Amino acid sequence: MSFRKAVTVLALATLPAACGGGGSSERAAPPSTAAAAPGGPAAGATGNGNITGKVGFQGTPPAPEKVKVAADPKCQSMHPQGLEKQPVQVKDGGLAHVFVWVKNAPAGSAPPTEPAVLDQKGCEYHPHIVAVRTGQPITIRNDDDTLHNVHPRPTINQEFNIGQPRKGMESVKTFDKQEIMIPVGCDVHPWMRSYISVVSHPFFAVTRDDGTYEIKGLPAGEYEVEAYHEKLKTQTQKVTVKDGDNKLDFSYQGS
Amino acid sequence: MVTAAATLVLIFIGGLVTSTGSGLAVPDWPLSYGMLMPPMVGGIFYEHGHRMAATLVGLLTVILAVWTARTEPRAGVRRLAWGALAAVIAQGLLGGITVIFLLPTPVSVLHACLAQTFFCITIALAFVTSREWTRAAPPADDVAGVRGAAAVATGVVFVQLLLGALMRHTGAGLAIPDFPLALGRVVPPLDSLPVVLHFAHRLGAIAVVAALAYLARQAHRSRDRRLSRPATLLLFLAAVQVALGAATVLTGKSVVPTTAHVATGAAVLGTCWLVTLRARRHLRRPQAMAVLTAPFPDAAPAP
Repeated sequence: MSFRKAVTVLALATLPAACGGGGSSERAAPPSTAAAAPGGPAAGATGNGNITGKVGFQGTPPAPEKVKVAADPKCQSMHPQGLEKQPVQVKDGGLAHVFVWVKNAPAGSAPPTEPAVLDQKGCEYHPHIVAVRTGQPITIRNDDDTLHNVHPRPTINQEFNIGQPRKGMESVKTFDKQEIMIPVGCDVHPWMRSYISVVSHPFFAVTRDDGTYEIKGLPAGEYEVEAYHEKLKTQTQKVTVKDGDNKLDFSYQGS
Repeated sequence: MVTAAATLVLIFIGGLVTSTGSGLAVPDWPLSYGMLMPPMVGGIFYEHGHRMAATLVGLLTVILAVWTARTEPRAGVRRLAWGALAAVIAQGLLGGITVIFLLPTPVSVLHACLAQTFFCITIALAFVTSREWTRAAPPADDVAGVRGAAAVATGVVFVQLLLGALMRHTGAGLAIPDFPLALGRVVPPLDSLPVVLHFAHRLGAIAVVAALAYLARQAHRSRDRRLSRPATLLLFLAAVQVALGAATVLTGKSVVPTTAHVATGAAVLGTCWLVTLRARRHLRRPQAMAVLTAPFPDAAPAP
């Protein structure tokens, strides 16, 4: 092969990637997205059964991670000592920020039209988990005097990445498919993390600071309930729901 | 040469973008948050910084192409310069596509590979317009086979870079989290694509070291310092690159060793390519071989 030919070949060589994959290179493991099981209560059914309980945590949670926020002077001024990231938040023996949902529930009532809100304030997301119905709007707001980009990484729904360069900017988004614990991050401020859970029925809850939760209005029947935490192993339990309160607790063990 | 040097720096900056997870810190293109110059905070510092450095390289390439078109008598070199301009424009478009379409893997890998290709083009342009090229003595016989060794080594390095890009942009960088063993074994279970890609990259490293060692040996046999010195440098760079690869894995893809690994890979490719160009310029196929492979002369006419 002549020299000129070799140079020309190299100059034009743009080897195409053979490997597909698509989408972001960093995705959370897809959590369960079970649809309503056949044989259960009819779609659209509501009832008088409630599932109440507590997600407990015994032992010592892992040490929080200290995060430097100096990458953005505006964030630094709001948190001069930095931020502490503690995904395992325990109070009164209960575990906060656990998404609890009924995997095989009926469709229930129509989704609300009032939007849920995901706020960016103090260079953090509030709340940590936004739980909505499929098709329910989510208002994403920037309450900081700095730029944020809002970048959820779903595996089933359509991914998006929007910039919100100014305080007060709002964007409204919806997710049309059921998908649990979609991670949401800001690529400008990598410590920011929240989750969006999109459910096709109304039977779900996020535990409070003390680990307690309530799921109301279930028809009587046999159900599978899942507790999902961003760091700890997912737990699933079966429960028979009768009219009135039905207790269902989960328990996690630390070191 | 300035464009080539700037391109190497740009490759390092581009590596920083991926290493810091800043690829989508600026969600729009070609503007950044609707601005020419956004606040350089957080991930924007890396992503928009990369765009600024790329713009500089683009401008340098425009100057290079126009200057070459006006002053270079050789048509092939002029075409190469225009080719460099086309490549850098394509590279800019690919960068925009990766942002708008949220980092599709094939585009990210193509963006990485075209960067290396463009780097090689700038090196070629620098070399063919250098005094070393224009004042070169007639080529000597390549008895040591340096030309072939260099070309093969360059090809092996490029394939290794492609494997590295595939591994990086499919999230397989830590598919094998231990080193020097792979999942506790010499050969890991090849039951997932990320592990296969990652292990292929490790095997590629062995192939690269072998190819560069052979090249260095042959280059030293040629007794031409223009070849033996960069070939020796390649051995050093290969050792550094293997160490950086190990550090990338053992630190869990810490930003500094990971990005240095990307940049050193480009430096290995660039140096290998330069040795290839030099060997082509200063050496020729040995005359004995030329005679043996030449076609038979026409038969003498009958009396």
